[in-house]
Amino acid sequence: MSDIVLKEVSKSYGAVSVLDKVSMHIQSGEFIVFLGPSGCGKSTLLRMIAGLEECNDGEIFIGGERVDQLPPNQRGVAMVFQNYALYPHMTVRDNMSFGLENVKTPKAEITRRVEDAARMLEITQLLDRKPAQLSGGQRQRVAIGRAIVRDPKAFLLDEPLSNLDAGLRVRTRLELAQLHNRIKATMIFVTHDQIEAMTLATRIVVMNNKKIEQIGTPMEIYARPATRFVASFVGSPAMNFVPVAAVSDVGGKAAITFAGQQPVQTAVPVAGLPTGNLTLGIRAEAARITHDGTGIKGVADVIERLGERTLVYTKLLDGTILVAEDEGISTIQPGDNVSIALDGNAAIVFDAAGKAFHAAV
Amino acid sequence: MSVAESRNPDLAATQAPAKMRTMKALDIGGLILTLITVIFAVLWAFPIYWGVITSLKPESQVIAKTVEFLPRTWTIEAYWQVLVNTMIGRWYINSLITSLGVTAITLATSALTAYALSQLRFPGRLVLWYLILASFMVPLTALIVNHFILMAQLQLINNWMGVILPQLIHPVVIIVYKNFFDSVPKEYREAAKMDSASEWRIFSRIYLPMNWGVTTALAIVTFIGAWNNFLWPFLAVSKPEMMNVAVGITQVNDAFGVQYARELAAAILAALLVAVLYLIFQRRVTQAIMLSAGVKG
Repeated sequence: MSDIVLKEVSKSYGAVSVLDKVSMHIQSGEFIVFLGPSGCGKSTLLRMIAGLEECNDGEIFIGGERVDQLPPNQRGVAMVFQNYALYPHMTVRDNMSFGLENVKTPKAEITRRVEDAARMLEITQLLDRKPAQLSGGQRQRVAIGRAIVRDPKAFLLDEPLSNLDAGLRVRTRLELAQLHNRIKATMIFVTHDQIEAMTLATRIVVMNNKKIEQIGTPMEIYARPATRFVASFVGSPAMNFVPVAAVSDVGGKAAITFAGQQPVQTAVPVAGLPTGNLTLGIRAEAARITHDGTGIKGVADVIERLGERTLVYTKLLDGTILVAEDEGISTIQPGDNVSIALDGNAAIVFDAAGKAFHAAV
Repeated sequence: MSVAESRNPDLAATQAPAKMRTMKALDIGGLILTLITVIFAVLWAFPIYWGVITSLKPESQVIAKTVEFLPRTWTIEAYWQVLVNTMIGRWYINSLITSLGVTAITLATSALTAYALSQLRFPGRLVLWYLILASFMVPLTALIVNHFILMAQLQLINNWMGVILPQLIHPVVIIVYKNFFDSVPKEYREAAKMDSASEWRIFSRIYLPMNWGVTTALAIVTFIGAWNNFLWPFLAVSKPEMMNVAVGITQVNDAFGVQYARELAAAILAALLVAVLYLIFQRRVTQAIMLSAGVKG
């Protein structure tokens, strides 16, 4: 039982507010990812859970016990730092044992735990090496090993993959997912990389500007973003946003018209939609190039050939750029007139404040 | 250059002698510089050389009116006389104990002070830091009368502790340590905190071992400074058996009258340990001097 509950947690440095009344409930065994741009407060929130930053306001519970007034070592959590923070003058074994020695764990027990963790992470052969003699991936595993031996209620990982090269990052990501499946521990992972978030998380917490924008499973975040920020932050290429010229009611659903284009029927209910200053959001895979001339019209501006698909950056009549998809082997050239069919079922409408209106589930 | 040579042999031909002229000019410049360096090196080393060969001459040859750059008769008589007839062994022990004491206590207290100033947050931290910086401006000699009175009141004159205590104030050691502790990434401290380490464990198992290099460098210069210190040990000690080497060699004259070979033999014996230490730890000493000057090696 290692649920983590945050109740209206706030943090400020002097007059500068960093987090404003953040609340969430993390279930035991979940792999939660805090995702957001630099400076959104995600690392600060993680450090507050760890006890490395004080809360100005609010409460934090770990495993049912209130911990926000406790020092880091009494919260039962372990942290993996961005730069791993392995003590450079100690061997891997000493690094992993250090925490257990501090709490006077019997030597035999320390040896057993270190060797078990080393076996699990396949670093047994590295135990007598110093951190400088390890590769980036090996250091990362040792840092996780140091956390595992303490048998914590939760693992807190602060951008642990960001120091690895691209290939190693993918491999380590997979290993991390396998590790979570094996030990079923609660993990909180901070990243600004949406691919890491989408591939690792059971739920993603998208943060922006001191607060939580949305909490949801990766597919909820991707397919039903709560705000325009979430829609733009998650997904590559970013979601298209096209200004809405007019909305008409067709059978209770919104038919959207763009400047100089034919209406696009969406599945978004008209009821509840505000009037004026709306934006339609649609992902590239829901905007397909048609070869029979149907759909909205534009001129191909930039072509990105990705192999399995082609992205066509299309300039619409009002000058808005819309990214559409074509087959991998596409004959479209920059300057060609193109037609795009939008999948109205995948369309989302955003109001002026960025709030999303979706099709009914 | 190579392109010009291949395309225009005439140009290359005119350029080649110019290049040689430049190299010759450089060679002559370099030669003059080397000569000047050698002259200064000889001027610097000559007194040491003269001291060593004088100490290896018989006393009768030392006072001869002719200048002799090598002894006619080689002898270690002067060294033997100093070793047998003075308390140099005892002075060596005194110097070793007081210098090691000064080094160990200075480093321990300075490292702890620097750690507290660098890593802990407590009321008056900044005031303490500025006081340490300000103490830089007070030369030790300005306090020497106060030190003497204090040590006399504590009845520590003619006592190892009396020699050691006033030499423990080394603000530069605290400053250098603090700079190094400041530069340790804060994640190490945070990781140790999460690992349930106490402040003492963080200091002794993380911060100090991570800065062994600077500790070694500071230890060597502090030791050499304490070994060579003359003024305070000269004031704090009057009994010959409590003197250190630097003070003790002034007694050689009293023991033998004017006996140059023996005085120089005593001086060489006094400097020997420091010279050997310096030769072994040259790089560390240079590093320590750079650290004290604010240059990180």
